[in-house]
Amino acid sequence: MARLLAHARFIIGALALMFVVAMAMPTAAQQRNPDNSVNPTASSVKEDQLLQQMRIINGRGSIPDAKSYNLEQPAGRDWRQFHDVTLHWIGAIAIIGMLAALVLFYLIRGMVRIQAGRSGRTLVRFNAFERFVHWMTASCFIVLAVTGLNITFGKTLLLPWMGPEMFSGWSQWGKYAHNYLSFPFTLGVVLILLIWIAGNIPNSIDLQWIKRGGGIVGNDHPPAYRFNAGQKMIYWIVVLGGGAVAASGYLLMFPFYVTDIAGMQLSQIVHGTVAVLFVAAMLAHIYIGTIGMEGAFEAMATGEVDLNWAKQHHSLWLEKEQARTGPNESESQARAAATPAE
Amino acid sequence: MARMKFLCDADRCIECNACVTACKNEHEVPWGINRRRVVTINDGKPGERSVSMACMHCTDAPCAAVCPVNCFYTTADAVVLHSKDLCIGCGYCFYACPFGAPQYPKVGNFGSRGKMDKCTYCAGGPEADHSKEEYEKYGSNRLAEGKLPLCAEMCSTKSLLAGDGEIIAQIYKERVVRRGYSSGAWGWKTAYKETIAT
Amino acid sequence: MLIKRTERQARRGTLAAALSNQSAGTLDRRTFLRRSGLTVGGLAAVGALPLTSVRKAEAFGSNPGAGATIRKNICTHCSVGCTVIAEVSNGVWVGQEPGWDSPISRGSHCAKGAATRELVHGDRRLRYPMKLVDGKWTRISWDVAINEIGDKLTEIRGKSGADSVYWLGSAKFTNEGAYLNRKLAAFWGTNNSDHQARICHSTTVAGVANTWGYGAMTNSYTDIRNAKTIVIMGGNPAEAHPVSLQHVLEGKESQRANMVVIDPRMTRTAAHATEYVRIRSGTDIPVIYGMLWHVFKNGWEDKEFIEQRVYGMDDIRKEVAKYTPEEVERISGVPGAQLERVAKMFATEKPSTLIWCMGATQHTVGTANVRAFCIALLATGNVGKPGTGANIFRGHTNVQGATDLGLDIVTLPLYYGLVEGAWRHWSRVWEVDYQWFVDRFDKATAADGKVTHTMNTPGIPSTRWFDATLYEKKDVSQKDNIKCMFVMGHGGNTVTRMPKAQEGIEKLDLLVVADPHPTTWAALAPNRKNNTYLLPIATSYETSGSRTASNRAIQWGEQIVKPIFESKDDNEVMYLLAKKLGFADQMFKNIKVENNVPVAEDILREINRGGWSTGYCGQSPERLKSHMANQKDFDMLTQKAAVGPNKGDYYGLPWPCWGTPEFKHPGTPLLYNTTLSIKEGGGTFRARFGLEREETLPDGTKRTVSLLGNGYYSKDSEIKDGYPEFTLAVLKKLGWDKDLTEAELAVINKINPTTPDAVSWAIDLSGGIQRVAIEHGCVPYGNGKARANAFGLPDAIPTHREPIYTPRPELVAKYPTLPSRREFRMPNVGFDVQKAAVEKGIAKAFPLILTSGRLVEYEGGGEETRSNKWLAELQQDMFIEINPADATERGIKDGAWVWVTGAELDSKARMKALVTERVGKGVTWCPFHFAGWFQGVDQRGNYPGGMDSNGKRYGTDPIVLGESVNALTTYGFDPVTGMQEPKATLCQVRAA
Repeated sequence: MARLLAHARFIIGALALMFVVAMAMPTAAQQRNPDNSVNPTASSVKEDQLLQQMRIINGRGSIPDAKSYNLEQPAGRDWRQFHDVTLHWIGAIAIIGMLAALVLFYLIRGMVRIQAGRSGRTLVRFNAFERFVHWMTASCFIVLAVTGLNITFGKTLLLPWMGPEMFSGWSQWGKYAHNYLSFPFTLGVVLILLIWIAGNIPNSIDLQWIKRGGGIVGNDHPPAYRFNAGQKMIYWIVVLGGGAVAASGYLLMFPFYVTDIAGMQLSQIVHGTVAVLFVAAMLAHIYIGTIGMEGAFEAMATGEVDLNWAKQHHSLWLEKEQARTGPNESESQARAAATPAE
Repeated sequence: MARMKFLCDADRCIECNACVTACKNEHEVPWGINRRRVVTINDGKPGERSVSMACMHCTDAPCAAVCPVNCFYTTADAVVLHSKDLCIGCGYCFYACPFGAPQYPKVGNFGSRGKMDKCTYCAGGPEADHSKEEYEKYGSNRLAEGKLPLCAEMCSTKSLLAGDGEIIAQIYKERVVRRGYSSGAWGWKTAYKETIAT
Repeated sequence: MLIKRTERQARRGTLAAALSNQSAGTLDRRTFLRRSGLTVGGLAAVGALPLTSVRKAEAFGSNPGAGATIRKNICTHCSVGCTVIAEVSNGVWVGQEPGWDSPISRGSHCAKGAATRELVHGDRRLRYPMKLVDGKWTRISWDVAINEIGDKLTEIRGKSGADSVYWLGSAKFTNEGAYLNRKLAAFWGTNNSDHQARICHSTTVAGVANTWGYGAMTNSYTDIRNAKTIVIMGGNPAEAHPVSLQHVLEGKESQRANMVVIDPRMTRTAAHATEYVRIRSGTDIPVIYGMLWHVFKNGWEDKEFIEQRVYGMDDIRKEVAKYTPEEVERISGVPGAQLERVAKMFATEKPSTLIWCMGATQHTVGTANVRAFCIALLATGNVGKPGTGANIFRGHTNVQGATDLGLDIVTLPLYYGLVEGAWRHWSRVWEVDYQWFVDRFDKATAADGKVTHTMNTPGIPSTRWFDATLYEKKDVSQKDNIKCMFVMGHGGNTVTRMPKAQEGIEKLDLLVVADPHPTTWAALAPNRKNNTYLLPIATSYETSGSRTASNRAIQWGEQIVKPIFESKDDNEVMYLLAKKLGFADQMFKNIKVENNVPVAEDILREINRGGWSTGYCGQSPERLKSHMANQKDFDMLTQKAAVGPNKGDYYGLPWPCWGTPEFKHPGTPLLYNTTLSIKEGGGTFRARFGLEREETLPDGTKRTVSLLGNGYYSKDSEIKDGYPEFTLAVLKKLGWDKDLTEAELAVINKINPTTPDAVSWAIDLSGGIQRVAIEHGCVPYGNGKARANAFGLPDAIPTHREPIYTPRPELVAKYPTLPSRREFRMPNVGFDVQKAAVEKGIAKAFPLILTSGRLVEYEGGGEETRSNKWLAELQQDMFIEINPADATERGIKDGAWVWVTGAELDSKARMKALVTERVGKGVTWCPFHFAGWFQGVDQRGNYPGGMDSNGKRYGTDPIVLGESVNALTTYGFDPVTGMQEPKATLCQVRAA
């Protein structure tokens, strides 16, 4: 508990630092002579005092490297605590917990079938560009996730059996991959934001959908437009979480260009925490898009879904599509869907 | 067993930077890498104090704890060293280090950091003592010759002390008793979780 | 893998394990303690460590690159004289080790000393001789260079006379180099021979020598440890002499001493003071008098000391009475109560020492400042004892030696002056006919038609060489203007009024720069297209020779490596030049020359043979080398060797080291110390100013006052009172002449065959007079009084004079600068300049005081240190310190660019602002080490470059360039020495 408090204090402190523009140096109690002149020896700054007053003891230096003017930052210890303990717990709980939940769910519920069976007729759900964006982002995400998790958990999980040289080599390449793939990933997130935002604005249908638990339990299938509330959640997790990891990631990648040590630590905290939660969320997404639901994967594989699948999961969307194009013109719909933002 | 430490007596430090250039000289440290530096607190005001700072070779070193590839190791003299062969330049040690010790050469684009470099307590690295490889990667290995870090050895006012923690603490204590003032054993609490009672 | 490493680590052993085993490369306790920064004192509690027998520090140290040889030299960066231990492998300087055995530095260095190895790797050194051909730097051979330069010198001499060539030498010469340089000027036939002491401590030398006899630090760096009160006024040794702070701070700690820093700037030194007094630049005399006011009022003066050893203190008393606490506060801004406290400490918590530097000396009142300081010491009896004295910290590594060896416009080597007797003395030493010298000199006709013989007239100070170039011919009292600057080891940015220097460089017929670096001389004036030569000179690490530290101790440095590239050492270049000019045979008559390189030991022996006046006669190369080899025998605190071959000697045989080397005088660690016999290094004040003086009392009656010591004498003196300097006549009067040997008498008779009685201790080449006097416990120079009233000087009683450009014009009426007058062959119109500045209201347009000083990373003009990558990284920009209040008024932010404009010559400079309370409101401060930018223009392209042997391009431009503060500094000269005024002028700053 005390540790938790320490973290909270650290995070708040770091945040506060970011907003405090000028940090006034404390003046040690100056020992003055009767005539108001100062005895420099007696009034020297004391480390104890400074440590009590400030999170970072900083001063002046002459080399053009402002971060070198920080003499002491015991706060590094708090960051270490976060990195070595807190993040591990968050990550472990989120990811293992999610995996466990999915396994359990699968065992209980099994794959969600297309109840009416396949109709044999399909309609276009995602066009080629959308699928390209999805898969580009997804593949980058997987590499980023694996290499990212490696930085946090590799030391415990991989190092013992890989050996230091091999592990370092792999981690080094992992770092390059993580750095370079961040660019297509970020691009992907931006495109996802743009191409699917229209379908992901929350509305009243979502409320119902949520109330009915998304139909996960039992055989209920609440109506949904193109994206149901669960998918919208994933969308927003990707957009906001992706945005957060990208922003914090770039701060880490360009160290000290825009922020100081406290900012760097905060960036890492945001990056690490959001990333492991992101990974956990994506596990659920992957589950539901693959073995969790019959007929879902093809939406992103071929771009076309079975009519009955659509009826079952996105009844309102199907209605709308059919109203617009007629029930049998799936070919032409493919072209029409190239402008999905309606 | 000797436990090597640094102690900067700020009441003696005059920011002459001898420690900084001695380090550059001894290890041929390139421009932009500052294994040691001097920071002045309350610069220009009465009561200003300068402190020479480098890796303090912490007890339970935070850098080692956060290193994702475990490239740090502590010698029997309690000197914290690292392997540049294993380092991947992630920068985490800098975030954890209370003293801003780790340095990274800029290689390539967008802040891609090279292998971390830091004060070795003039004790080289994992390579064989006095080998060419050791010198090129980490600088010279004075400790293996029975010498202490050159920064402390050349300190203009004997402000920067290096050596066994108990001895230098004793020296510092005697100084403080003799002169009657002290601004503290800078960094000791943070690095070694102890203070020198004076 | 790392596990394996850990095992190996454990096997190899920890330090503790190493302490208990005896194999090579381990650490013994003694070494360990020393290396831990502790040498003396308690530390009983170390018993925890397994201790082994004491082994020598040198036993290890050969481990890396086994086969490296160790060479010992002296750091070339300041006057402390830190020992440099170099490890040399295959002719390359591969490493530096602490010189633990040095009783001065005890292993320590500052940033410069710890980086000094870089100097002989020198990526940016000049590699071969070069010449400017139509504005392009062109490589030439040494032969061509020497021939062309020699021919041009001869041509100039023919047209304009010998005095039109200016020999600007260096405080970085070895003693031997400095001596040769002065000798070269003498053989060439001019007194226009100067070096950095002009702009550094010339006023100290003049002021101190005029007070008690010799112009040098009276005590030593290590002796400061004995002081109970340390006053540092106008100096920042924490940056200028960092290793000296080891002694100051350890003294402060062990004695719980008062440490008072009096300065316009809250310096790094002041940060460690127990009392900081902020004064206005240029008000040193009022502050000292403000202290003395309290001293006299409270009767804190040392009455017995004054009675016995000081002349003219009553005159001072009268002057001091005018400086009431109110008046002093009005002038200097220092509250009376603070000065009273400082005065009390200084006068009553003794011993007290006064330390000063450029802050005191670099003023139009520099000499008077120094005099006031000396008077404060005299009034409180703080001279001539351990822990007291005028501890003057000289600047360059050998500025003391170069000053001693007469690299100066007013004297031949060792302060003999320029009178005929001086020339005759050196003619005898050099074994060259006196008349030959007479013929070498110009006979000048002054403006008033009077013919003067320039042989006996002081030359032109280096602060005004360009005035002597640019003024109309009639205004310069020599045959013609300065036409050639022959510059050896002297920066081009160290003299004030740089816009004039730029004009001057353009106008010269010939410019020769002999230096390891091209220096500002080569880059400042791009309009100069021809007749400019650069000669690559080796540093002192690439040659051997002696150097004199500030405490007058002489240390011998051995060559670490051979001169790099095509460099030659100073001595060789001067030999080659003398050969070309046709007087090498005379000049090197008694000096062996090997492969064109004069043997340094022989030069020193010649110095010994002529150096009687200052006691440079006993320090033979053999003795000095033995001191260096046996440094460990000397005690740090007393500087005395307790054991070994030099037992009884003081380290470096601090001058005066009387008599011949065989006389084995131990040197004089403390000047004027009467508690030791002369033979042991004691002394008295020098009887230099006559035997008596006629004074006129207020009622018009006259009386004669003795200038000899009054009832005081040094230990074991057979004369128990004051006495004059020794001559043969004095010896005879005392009946001591029979102690002279036949040989000695023969030499004396040869010196002055007509009146041998007139031969004095200073010109007796046999050393007999000195020997006999000392054997009777007497000091050869006599036992006199120090002068509080230095009659003969422009301000015999120091008095406050406002700087030429003062921020307080209302004080000028009461405290004007001295009237304009001619001195040093030229007019000094300071009074007119000051008057005009007041009338024009300059202080309104330029309201900020501009003062300058030192950064620890750089030295002097800074070309050498700014080229050192390890140093340059630490200070990459020229800057100006400005108070937050002044900065806010001007919208200036910390770190932003500003334009600084100077009060004269439309000068301007672009630099960064450092906003700090270190300077008070209304004050700005700049470091003086920068050059290579001028008035906003980057001059990097003006430095020569070339291709190295691998076809790689290299430049000789220093890594860091910046505006010179001297581009902004202004007119003003000390009347006694021609010292410039870079410490108190005015400027304006605005955001760029």
